[in-house]
Amino acid sequence: MLDLYDKVQEACAFIRKAWHHTPHAGIILGTGLGPLVQRIEVQATIEYEDIPHFPRSTATSHRGRLVCGNLCGLPIVAMDGRFHMYEGYPLTQITLPVRVMKFLGAQVLVVTNACGGMNPNYRAGDIMVIDDHINLMGDNPLIGINDDRLGPRFPDMCYPYDPELIDAALRIARNNDIVAHRGVFVAVAGPNLETRAEYRFLRGIGADVVGMSTVPEVIVAVHSSMRTVGFSVVTDMCLPDSLEPANVEKIIAIANEAEPRLTSLVTGVLAHEKSRSHSSSKVSTKDT
Amino acid sequence: MTADALSADWIRQRSPNFSPRVGIILGSGLGALADSIRPVAIHRYQEIPQFPRSHVAGHAGNLVLGDLGSVPVVAMQGRAHLYEGWSIDQSTLPVRTMARLGIELLIVSNASGGISSRFRSGQSVLIDHHVNLMFRSGISLSNERVGLATYGVPDRTASIYDPVWLERAEKEAIDLGFSLPRGTYLGTLGPNYETRAEYRAFAKMGADMVGMSTVPETIVASQLGIPSLAFSIVTNVAKPDAPSKTEHSDVLEWSRNAQKQLIPLIEQLLRKYFTDR
Repeated sequence: MLDLYDKVQEACAFIRKAWHHTPHAGIILGTGLGPLVQRIEVQATIEYEDIPHFPRSTATSHRGRLVCGNLCGLPIVAMDGRFHMYEGYPLTQITLPVRVMKFLGAQVLVVTNACGGMNPNYRAGDIMVIDDHINLMGDNPLIGINDDRLGPRFPDMCYPYDPELIDAALRIARNNDIVAHRGVFVAVAGPNLETRAEYRFLRGIGADVVGMSTVPEVIVAVHSSMRTVGFSVVTDMCLPDSLEPANVEKIIAIANEAEPRLTSLVTGVLAHEKSRSHSSSKVSTKDT
Repeated sequence: MTADALSADWIRQRSPNFSPRVGIILGSGLGALADSIRPVAIHRYQEIPQFPRSHVAGHAGNLVLGDLGSVPVVAMQGRAHLYEGWSIDQSTLPVRTMARLGIELLIVSNASGGISSRFRSGQSVLIDHHVNLMFRSGISLSNERVGLATYGVPDRTASIYDPVWLERAEKEAIDLGFSLPRGTYLGTLGPNYETRAEYRAFAKMGADMVGMSTVPETIVASQLGIPSLAFSIVTNVAKPDAPSKTEHSDVLEWSRNAQKQLIPLIEQLLRKYFTDR
């Protein structure tokens, strides 16, 4: 893991040649949620394959480029296309872009994903603000010799998602008439969708939604002492007693339908960050 | 020659007349039991062929051979955790090596996060079951690789945590004036501490405490026909409804307190059950 630091520096150096601003936030766009990129005042676009040590995205409906620019008046970097464990990448590689965002100067990580809803009070198309997560991926991006330059050996996970940003996101949702839940995301490795028995089990251990991403990136964000806010778009309901075969086109259609609402929440959170940085001189130096 | 045979031979060559009867793995902060051992030989892990090295602060990384009371023991001061990147085979190599040296009992200790509300910080708990949520098997199915003819899939009716030793430990604890409740230990990969949602999930799975070690070691010992006696020191009781941050220094502090009970207990057990033969 000690060579990770150098890899992060090399990737940062490459990105800085194309874009020399300091991002306030890094954004990771999940399945079907790429259109948010259109809201960015783009200053630079870098293909993943050109960035040293970045893996390439192979998943359907994911692109593979880093978009740098302004959103809501804040400098941001956005990952248009993300990496998944089920594609075969090691988690250290999947999460390298988060470390790169941190070393470029980002204080906040915004993660989005498409997920299966297991809480029967949810509906397909709803958005859940992630309050907490359960890691059932069977792996962890921090396994290996710890590099203290990157973060602590045993990161505390009491609040992996920043409580203040969760509250801000829920407030923005209320003000914009958007249905937003607050719940628990469980991450599995995938790539197969879950069996009915697995849905019952995952629901039983306290999860509201299930997905195949996000948790590795958030663990690394906590390790990097970034403040994180996460949004899950419920793209299909996974109620074991009335389960239908998954339809990828339908899932992507629901993600696309939800995308404007998700964009409102993401831009709302960034606007909140901007007003926060105006009203406070000691912005975003939360010690974790 | 297999890895465990290489390391065992290397150790035997240096202490040819020493046959340990008990193997001890000293977990977080419990290294002080090693001070009670009259050493015959102390080997740093990096000297021993094939041995993994410990990278964690607070783990010394020594194999101590010597007498605890009058009982010959081999003690691991520091262990190789999966979160450091070791494979199951690498991290459990010392257990297989100690088995080759002839141990009849494996004593393991660890620091854990308490899930059961019956426990308090600093509490010592006897592990009577475990939940393996490490997503790695402790059992290597390749006989050639692990090199023991008896290797196979363990009898599922056999207890990893021997009921006879559980009862003996309970009785000795009462004699020494403290209670030693039993509990189910859930092993995770780590290295991050658990989220609130994970603590709640593990409680529903039946776990009383959670930690990042022990499970591979006791599975391998069981596979080799060696009973395990495992102690978990609850270094902080997780309260997911009122979470507080866990610091590694707190963990070390609670471990120091618990060893005032466990060290006399282990000494007493060895005196009673290993010196009369």
